[in-house]
Amino acid sequence: MAYDLQLSHIGKVYDNGTPAVIDFNLDVDKGEFIAFLGPSGCGKTTTLRMIAGFESITSGDLLIRGRRVNDLQPEKRPTSMIFQNYALFPHLTVRQNVMFGLEVKGLPAAEANRKVDRILDKLGLSDVADIRPTRLSGGQRQRIALARSLVVEPDILLLDEPLGALDANLRKSIQNELKLLQRDLGITFVFVTHAQSEALALSDRIVVMNAGRVEQISPPRELYTRPQSIFVARFIGANTLISGSVRGTQGGHLAVETAFGTLLAEPSAGMPAAGAAASIVLPAEAMHVLPATMPEAEIRASHGANLVPCRITRLQLVGHILQIGMVLPNGEAVTLEGHADKYRDTLSAGSEAVVAWNPSDATLIVQ
Amino acid sequence: MESRILKPALGLYVALFVLFLYGPFVVLTIISFQQGPEGGPQFPIIEWSTYWYRHIFGLTPPSRIAPLPFGEALLRSLVLAFMTMVVSTVLGVMSAQAFRRKFKGSGVVFYLIVLGMMVPGVLTGLGTSLLANNVIGIERHWYTTAFATHVAYTFPFAFLVMLAILNRFDASVEEASWSLGVDPWTTFRKVTFPLIFPGVLSAMLFAFTLSLDEFPRTLFASGRDQTLPLAIYGTFSVEIHPNIFAFGVLTTLFSFALLSVYGLLMAMSVRRARKMAMQEDIA
Repeated sequence: MAYDLQLSHIGKVYDNGTPAVIDFNLDVDKGEFIAFLGPSGCGKTTTLRMIAGFESITSGDLLIRGRRVNDLQPEKRPTSMIFQNYALFPHLTVRQNVMFGLEVKGLPAAEANRKVDRILDKLGLSDVADIRPTRLSGGQRQRIALARSLVVEPDILLLDEPLGALDANLRKSIQNELKLLQRDLGITFVFVTHAQSEALALSDRIVVMNAGRVEQISPPRELYTRPQSIFVARFIGANTLISGSVRGTQGGHLAVETAFGTLLAEPSAGMPAAGAAASIVLPAEAMHVLPATMPEAEIRASHGANLVPCRITRLQLVGHILQIGMVLPNGEAVTLEGHADKYRDTLSAGSEAVVAWNPSDATLIVQ
Repeated sequence: MESRILKPALGLYVALFVLFLYGPFVVLTIISFQQGPEGGPQFPIIEWSTYWYRHIFGLTPPSRIAPLPFGEALLRSLVLAFMTMVVSTVLGVMSAQAFRRKFKGSGVVFYLIVLGMMVPGVLTGLGTSLLANNVIGIERHWYTTAFATHVAYTFPFAFLVMLAILNRFDASVEEASWSLGVDPWTTFRKVTFPLIFPGVLSAMLFAFTLSLDEFPRTLFASGRDQTLPLAIYGTFSVEIHPNIFAFGVLTTLFSFALLSVYGLLMAMSVRRARKMAMQEDIA
């Protein structure tokens, strides 16, 4: 299987001895949309810059289409980068900006012009072609940067927080454009972001990074439903973590001893040993809140085998969404949102209630 | 409250500053319009005249006061300043470019470069002349030994100007260019240089003007043929006539003209950018 991009045991240590990226492994298929997601300083941008050739690689191998490119200069790599600040050439017009890469490559003028016209047209930039980019809007500049990078036909497009400088509405629309463009062109995109909504919406797979290490590589849905580490569970989505120790299997699930009694959960990977310290990751979507007056057997039958008593502290209706604030017996406050119809008239603030969930909706992470 | 005292005090300070800055030039200008050939460099003005200006260009009837022997010295100084400007600016741009990345010994190299503008000029001049005469055994000329001292003196200025410019320079446009498949040299020519050009212009101006009126280094290092500042000094030692002042006024005006050209070039690039922006507003 030939991959478009392979990172094998990639490590980066700065001159002062600080490690920036530790043992990064990733195989990317052609045409895949990969997102590097993590808090600032986690090493995602450094990794992207190593792929582009702007940062040296301390250890490991970087392969693009099967060729080792560790020591290849950036201009010789089949990658092109989109920068957060767009990095357009302020002294050139939009057309000259886009033409720049082709011109230097020595493409015949007629062919270069045709390519530039096509990409300007595709990205809706034909009207502003002879203007300098300095006074254009953020969205337009973003498109110029895209046009400039795509016109040289890279194998891999690298994007460093490309939507970071745009306002929320524009971000949404450019996000869609980007996804369509990537499908249309069929080239590999590697996208760095600290916004999980962007990563979840755009990518085929997400690489979650923390403190220089890869925490998890999964498709968005799986990252959401089956986090493999405490960090991912806290970083992605809205999860409640319940710590306990593994007791054994029970009815196809894992039984975990917690402060709220024995709860059942699904293991994230492999079977943990009995007695291992672990955390149950409970997504907000998996929780059902029911009045304490409802018989326990009925709840277990209809809403899942796990039950934890709680007290409702706050109910607030926002349109058709009901925000439920509650406190667990250990004092932990949890907020979740549900469709108002589902909870109509069953709950009241200050009353006792029960949280129930299906064991297969919760993931167990061994610490 | 405070500003009632502070403001007038600062105002007075600025006024004094301006007085000391331009006072000499004003006196110089007034005396340059002294009557000639009898009038000397003193107050009061006997009668206003442009005699000494005409005297410089040899337009006055012959008198006991010889015309200033500045023709060749002026040419030498201009050529020397031009050579110095080119070499110092090229060196300044290249070395500042090198300093964008930390390299081993960069701290030491930095101080070695800056030393050129710190060490007393007379010593540099004297040292150069001794080196040329006694150690290497070459003749001193304005275009060899003096040229070297001028470069050593003006290069740090060009270097510091470029360092400041490159410090504010956003390197991501260069990375963008590389990532489009453009090699570093072409990137420098087509992206970096056009963007730092205003700074290059400033570095050139510094090098040229500093070299043009350089005195202490040139005094010992220039050998037989004198540059303009030396020639002017030479005339002082005989007898001072207002023609020197008239000449001073002319060279100052020349410097102002140079500054105006510089300002014009700067304004042009700004206006060009603004015009582009306006076209976009119309579109």
